[in-house]
Amino acid sequence: MSLFWIVIRRLAEIEAMATSKKVITKEEWEKKLNDVKIRKEDMNKLVMNFLVTEGYVDAAEKFRMESGTEPDIDLATITDRMAVKKAVQCGNVEDAIEKVNDLNPEILDTNPQLFFHLQQQRLIELIRHGKVEEALEFAQEELAPRGEENQSFLEELERTVSLLAFEDVSNCPVGELLDISQRLKTASEVNAAILTSQSHEKDPKLPSLLKMLIWAQNQLDEKAAYPHINDLSTATLEDPAI
Amino acid sequence: MTNNSSANSDSNGTNIHNQDLGWYFLELARLGASRATHLEDTEEQLPSELNTINSSGGFLLVSTDKLSVKYTSVNLHGHDVGVVQANNPAPVKRLVYYFEIFVKDAGAKGQIAIGFTTDTFKMRRQPGWEANSCGYHGDDGMLYRGQGKGETFGPTFTANDIVGAGINYASQEFFFTKNGAVVGAVYKDMKGPLFPTIAVHSQNEEVQVNFGQKSFAFDVKEFEKQERMKQQTTIEKISLPPNVSYGIVRSYLLYYGYEDTLNTFDVASKTTVPPVYMAQENGFNEQDIVYALNRRKTLRKLIKSGEIDSAFGKLHDWYPQIVQDDKSATCFLLHCQKFIELVRVGALEEAVKYGRIKLAKFFGLAGFDDLVQDCVALLAYEQPQESSVGYLLEESQREVVADTVNAMILSTNPNLKDSHACLQSCLERLLRQLTACCLERRSLNGDQGEAFHLNKELDIGKN
Repeated sequence: MSLFWIVIRRLAEIEAMATSKKVITKEEWEKKLNDVKIRKEDMNKLVMNFLVTEGYVDAAEKFRMESGTEPDIDLATITDRMAVKKAVQCGNVEDAIEKVNDLNPEILDTNPQLFFHLQQQRLIELIRHGKVEEALEFAQEELAPRGEENQSFLEELERTVSLLAFEDVSNCPVGELLDISQRLKTASEVNAAILTSQSHEKDPKLPSLLKMLIWAQNQLDEKAAYPHINDLSTATLEDPAI
Repeated sequence: MTNNSSANSDSNGTNIHNQDLGWYFLELARLGASRATHLEDTEEQLPSELNTINSSGGFLLVSTDKLSVKYTSVNLHGHDVGVVQANNPAPVKRLVYYFEIFVKDAGAKGQIAIGFTTDTFKMRRQPGWEANSCGYHGDDGMLYRGQGKGETFGPTFTANDIVGAGINYASQEFFFTKNGAVVGAVYKDMKGPLFPTIAVHSQNEEVQVNFGQKSFAFDVKEFEKQERMKQQTTIEKISLPPNVSYGIVRSYLLYYGYEDTLNTFDVASKTTVPPVYMAQENGFNEQDIVYALNRRKTLRKLIKSGEIDSAFGKLHDWYPQIVQDDKSATCFLLHCQKFIELVRVGALEEAVKYGRIKLAKFFGLAGFDDLVQDCVALLAYEQPQESSVGYLLEESQREVVADTVNAMILSTNPNLKDSHACLQSCLERLLRQLTACCLERRSLNGDQGEAFHLNKELDIGKN
């Protein structure tokens, strides 16, 4: 019997050895970190890409002067893009549509969903301002024909028009359409479409790299215990959890 | 060099020189010299032709270009297969490896196979019949993986078909194609170097192999793109704390002393909708990093515009401790830069004089020697920009010097807890961690898969 347990124990030990993770101490890990080569100009590019994509046009201009990094897009187009975004954020949808068409008429022509969402936002703004008659007219003439082409557009239209059925929209089931977040959603959709039309990626690279860092750490966790960075904002190296 | 005792008492086992933080930047300055070749991945030997030495001689004939093979005898049993491996194993430091065969003649029975085997493979057997091998067979369309019996897999293949075999290192799978379309994939349960392998086993069977010399029938590039996208989709689902990117960019601007950008950035972020909200208690150590912001900016500007004398003057006035030891790495880099600036404007005589007074003492000094020699070598060329030491005249060299001075000033901050904290921005630490994690994971995975390279990542999405 006792021999049996010894064998079992031994087997468990062998198994533990086989599955045990490699342990990398902080000293060893710091050496590896030190061996990595990161070029300053690449970091500068990453920062420039963030400023440009997020629309910090003045900061991008200053950064170009201070760091000598060339932006990967014509800075003038950022100003136009931000004007469109701002117009939607402030509820001036008509103005925004006009500006997009000035920038590049193909953007809305080739993007029916975006155009519908802008028109829907326009309808929401009319309802918000209590312009019931105008809203109805707009819905019937501009939006309903588009709804016939596309089932999901029609459902969206019906949802939006139902705002008119409530006296107190703040408490109605579709009240969220009147929320500021709806404007922001539409605004970021236009923003992305403009960037895409300029053959620029619609999202900055930095957040993707940060996500990749979290992912890479998780992946390595399966194989090794090593110092993590848990707080991205300080990049503090933690001791390995063994 | 620095008399700041807190900066010297370091127990932090990195191999940065403990006496002088500026040594860290000497390494960066050296990086400039190796800029073109700095990708860490060493090239792997690729399969390029068939290995005629190791093939099953007697049963098959390999053409003189070593890219086609023919079964020349009459097969009698299961141990006279004409099998041949590639001259090199499939490379592993990548996302996908792939090769193809073209069946020129299906011979008497069409017993052609394509797959992967290890270096101990019995060179008289079909790939897949023995342990540690895998093969897709033309006569029955089955996949063999080391057991006697095959598994139902795909269509048969015969004369005029193009058949491919590949390894997907991300999913750890073998995959096979026929005439440009994927047939199927199986889990790769073999380890060690895997050789692309082809086999013929009946009279007159003839197969040509393509290791990528010619274009493939299968669109490997598109396949890789799809694989990358799968991974990207998983990664994009990870959520980040709000405004973390914003905070990292801001601390980068603060760290390097890009004051004008920072101020503009702050003004803009106050007017965005919705306003960027940054929690103050998230440990950015603002005060520490705001430290000497304006002076750091001023010095960066001077160095970036080549005004090294003025930069020296300001340092003497503001931070004498940084420049008091003329043999420190910081002073060395500044002297080098002054020399470089003189060469840049063509003041060669003055450069020679300056070199004799200020640089000569660094000759033969470990750590300084190679950079000093590179600097002086500038004098040897009529067109120094185009020479092997031309990197010294690039903007990035000024940047290294500016970054050195910036870090040295940060190191004089009495509130600094860890002296090495001033050497890298938060962004740089994150990128180093990301690269190290990817490299380590790959090395624990038998070196399989792609490495992470920031500059490659930055190029994605361009054009």
